[in-house]
Amino acid sequence: MDLIINLTLNGLATGMLIFLLAAGLTLIFGLMDVLNFAHGGLFAWGAYSGLWIYSQTGSFIIGIICAILTGFLLGIITEKWIIKPVYGNHVQQILITLGLMLVLSEMLKVIWGPNQITASPPDYLKGSWELGGVIIIKYRVFIILVGFLIFTGVQFLLKKTKIGLVVRAGVMNKEMVQALGINIQRVFMFVFMIGAGMAALGGVLLGPYSGVIHAGMGMEFAILAFIVVVIGGMGNFKGSVLAAILVGLSGSFMAYYVPDLSLAVNMLLMAIVLIIRPQGLFGAKG
Amino acid sequence: MNNDLLKLDKVETHIGQYHILQGVSFEVKKGEVTVLLGRNGAGKTTTLRTIIGLNPASKGSVTFKGEAIQSLPTYTIAKKGIGYVPEDQGIFAGLTVEENMRVAIQKDDEETAKRMDWILNLFPDLKRFWKKPGGLLSGGQKQMLSIARAYVNENELLLIDEPSKGLAPIVVEKVMDSIIQMKAETTIVLVEQNFMMASTIGDQFYIIDDGRTVSHGAMKKLKEDEEMKRKYLGIA
Amino acid sequence: MTAIVLVVAAFLLLLPFVYESRNLLILLTQVFVFSIFAMSYDLLLGFTGIVSFGHAMFFGIGAYSMGIFMKRFEPTLGYFFLAVLTTVVLTGIVSFLVGLLTLRLKSHFYAMLTLSLSGLFLVLAEKWRTMTYGNDGFTFRVPELFIDRTNFYLLCLIVMVAVFLILKRFTNSPLGRVLQAIRENEQRTESLGFHVLHYKIAASVMSGVLAGVAGILYAISLRFVNTSVFAMDITLDALLMTIIGGVGTLVGAIIGAGLIEFAHHWLTELAKEHWIFERWIIFFGIIYILVVMFFPRGIVGTLRTLSWNRKKQPAVKKEEKIAG
Repeated sequence: MDLIINLTLNGLATGMLIFLLAAGLTLIFGLMDVLNFAHGGLFAWGAYSGLWIYSQTGSFIIGIICAILTGFLLGIITEKWIIKPVYGNHVQQILITLGLMLVLSEMLKVIWGPNQITASPPDYLKGSWELGGVIIIKYRVFIILVGFLIFTGVQFLLKKTKIGLVVRAGVMNKEMVQALGINIQRVFMFVFMIGAGMAALGGVLLGPYSGVIHAGMGMEFAILAFIVVVIGGMGNFKGSVLAAILVGLSGSFMAYYVPDLSLAVNMLLMAIVLIIRPQGLFGAKG
Repeated sequence: MNNDLLKLDKVETHIGQYHILQGVSFEVKKGEVTVLLGRNGAGKTTTLRTIIGLNPASKGSVTFKGEAIQSLPTYTIAKKGIGYVPEDQGIFAGLTVEENMRVAIQKDDEETAKRMDWILNLFPDLKRFWKKPGGLLSGGQKQMLSIARAYVNENELLLIDEPSKGLAPIVVEKVMDSIIQMKAETTIVLVEQNFMMASTIGDQFYIIDDGRTVSHGAMKKLKEDEEMKRKYLGIA
Repeated sequence: MTAIVLVVAAFLLLLPFVYESRNLLILLTQVFVFSIFAMSYDLLLGFTGIVSFGHAMFFGIGAYSMGIFMKRFEPTLGYFFLAVLTTVVLTGIVSFLVGLLTLRLKSHFYAMLTLSLSGLFLVLAEKWRTMTYGNDGFTFRVPELFIDRTNFYLLCLIVMVAVFLILKRFTNSPLGRVLQAIRENEQRTESLGFHVLHYKIAASVMSGVLAGVAGILYAISLRFVNTSVFAMDITLDALLMTIIGGVGTLVGAIIGAGLIEFAHHWLTELAKEHWIFERWIIFFGIIYILVVMFFPRGIVGTLRTLSWNRKKQPAVKKEEKIAG
């Protein structure tokens, strides 16, 4: 029982981190038809910048805020200078975002060195609780809570605000949104910024969770996020959270029982989805 | 200054490598309904898309209320007071009727509320399906929603692309009636293949053929000109 | 263009007999190997408009097939051919499946699936230690014929020229024309009655098999194989070479391979002077982004456009004359 609960919590926490990455990917894809292969780079930048500030100031909260701001900033730069110039050309876009990924991860090595960096949670999130004989690690619960909070927040933004309404309308018909007098470029930038901020947040949360960060972590997590985006349906925000939890849980349980197959199982899941429901388990663009 | 609300002067438009519009010129007077006629593929839809900026003109000028708008982005053109009802109606299928209207509303003021009331009285169906997703509406209701959405802001000009397309004759009549009522409130450029509808609503007409405006005049005249109708519209 | 390539090839053929430099020979061998790899990539990206982010997996399959056969069995020509056969079969099957799964969907899916699948192969190579010796990899002996560096240099050169000519032929064939039509306008090609998916899968398989061949030669040249053959870097190499050289030209892939390999070599030397050159990939990344943004046709494509513009007037006149 103890084991099951812990594997579940572990899977949920990993799932939430993947969700933070995948949510931006799927939103950006849904609205702009851009698959941002540099998204993992934003994730890694969030981790490095946030944990660096955390180590300098000693405050994890300031670190997190700083990571999100880094994400916002890089998101704006990416949208304005990398994506916008090649907007409308799919092949060019895919190629250019991968190039950016390359530059972003190498820049990390230039600034913070090529070696991995260790990280640990702040004191108040260290350790664990014991509930009826079950040991629950605090930091995992923290990640799950933050993930849930962000999910609810974005869901509120999408469903209850005018900008969210415009985003949803834009996913369905970009031309019409513009013909109704809305500057879609500004909406693009907004969504890109939010997506990048979420990715960066995911990165900084991952640090103390896995204990170390390295420049390759962006690509590693991006692959999981791509799997999630396919399973959840490209452009489907709600689908992305469900798929992320699914991938997180399957990863966590497989890693315990058959560790060598954990990535393979997720790949298999993706292959099956591609065969039977290429629009994703939860439908595209919902 | 003359009283032309909209003026196109030798407009040319390219889409990709195709030279679609090769010289479209016409004037729209305030309060009138101008109908663009012509065969399929003549460039009528592209003309409307060029006005709203979705397929920007590569040559020539589009003047709205005395201001050149041909190189402005679509959303700025729309904000200047042009509403657009595309051929496929452009309904946001996953949004409710209410949300479809809310996306369109630019100002949250009394005037807009008044216009909203007016248009909903014209199309009571929309009020009935207020919370229903736009994708589930019938073809006629989608058309009404699209027109209402274009009208709700203080737009001085509406561009309406083939409102009768794919609708049952009885629904066409309904849509036609409503456009006639809107005539009193706003200026309209209408693309229409249904000659009965075009000739009932239209004040003046322009015929577009092979990307050029080839003929124009008062609608009344065209009704009697059998040869013109046969030549350009394939009807007799 | 083909003529120039053949002249250069003839020059390279004679090179080892007139100029003896082991280092240069090895470097050029690498250039040939990566030219094959980059051309296989160009067939996808340049001629069909398919973006693969996991081309390393075909390369790696080739490299590991050869390594494992040479290590487990005898380093003889017989086993060499068996390894080649295995590579062709494996890469063929994998590229067929990937194509079948994703090529009917938007271009993002192929990129995504290949990216994740190559990640899977990397993990497989790391974990299946009994076969692959994990991360550290293993050395192996090669058939006697390939021990001599000059012999192997010539083999790689011949294979490269052969692949170039075959692909040239292929892309100019009716099949190749259909592929380019797909790249230009997929729906239109479909509506002309071509079964687009079949053609795309054919391109995917051909490209995968050729990438496997490049992997085979790579493994023999190093006499060593480890998990790095499955790494993202290998895919990125192919991307950089094709893009910088010029997509859809084949020659561009060769030029790109030459440039990147030489620059790589040179920057590695410079890294001894200053650490920043260890991060040489950053320079390529930036150049790559700029090329994609401003010269999407790469070196060869841009040069061709330039010379085309200069020759345009007389060329058009000439055509008129022929027509008249």
